[in-house]
Amino acid sequence: MLVLATISFVTFKWVLIPIRTQGSSMLPTYGPGELKLVNRLAYQSQLPARGDVVAIQMAGPHVLYVKRVIGLPGERVSVSQGLVQINGQALQEPYVRNRKPWDVPEVTLGTGEYFVIGDNRGMAAGEHDFGRVELDRILGKVVF
Amino acid sequence: MSVPRVAAVVAIVAAIGAAIWFVRKPADEPTLVRQRLDSFADLINKSTVDGAGMAARAAELSAYLTEDVEVEFGVGSPPIRGRETIVGMADRLQPRTAAFRLRFEDVMVALKPTGDAASVHLTAEIIRRSITTGEESLDAREFSLEMRRVGGDWKIARVTAVQTLKQAP
Repeated sequence: MLVLATISFVTFKWVLIPIRTQGSSMLPTYGPGELKLVNRLAYQSQLPARGDVVAIQMAGPHVLYVKRVIGLPGERVSVSQGLVQINGQALQEPYVRNRKPWDVPEVTLGTGEYFVIGDNRGMAAGEHDFGRVELDRILGKVVF
Repeated sequence: MSVPRVAAVVAIVAAIGAAIWFVRKPADEPTLVRQRLDSFADLINKSTVDGAGMAARAAELSAYLTEDVEVEFGVGSPPIRGRETIVGMADRLQPRTAAFRLRFEDVMVALKPTGDAASVHLTAEIIRRSITTGEESLDAREFSLEMRRVGGDWKIARVTAVQTLKQAP
């Protein structure tokens, strides 16, 4: 029993972190109030990939952004009329249902920089937090 | 009394002593800074609960800010300077618009070598309650604070919003 409790404690404290989603920026993939797990070891041996949903820490690990990686280090990212462009090519995003005509000027991502955005593009761009983030802010990959 | 029994009694007394020391020991400066910020959040939250807004608590709010306090919300927002300006702005907040709760998470305090100033990095959570539906929504923002000890109290001297996700090139 003690071993099981210890394993559970270690797992949910340092490996699979339980989180509860808030807000609507990841709709329709994740809605508010859903319980998810963040795999903190996901990027120990590999780097985040395009399409991964990641947890990004603010001042610490207790309040996190949940966003999707769309741009990788060194790439040029822009949004034109709601369509994401990577190095000038439109990105296929089957997880996006509604799009408002967002326009985001092109940025070139630096070393260790990723561009993250929520799946809900039906909301106004001004109400949606998205942008560039350093790798060391990415706590892990959202799974389950 | 046998030796093992004496050892057990000594261990229990030592454990009780350690517990009492832990509970009653004077708080260190980082803890005092955290407590001060929690108390500041409590003051803001009280004003949103009792319906009086910040107007009734302007004087109390002043006690948490240095006279030359500066607040920078980032790109597109001009900095707000001076305690009187901030208290004046809070004073104009109407109770009905103040349906929110403020909470600080992940408060990290770094004391300056002089001991009378500290850098604080935290996440501020604002839980808004819709007046019409009662539904709650959460917004979180990262901030960097400079705090100074003035007359024995820790006061907020500078607040800078941190852009967790950067948009500008």
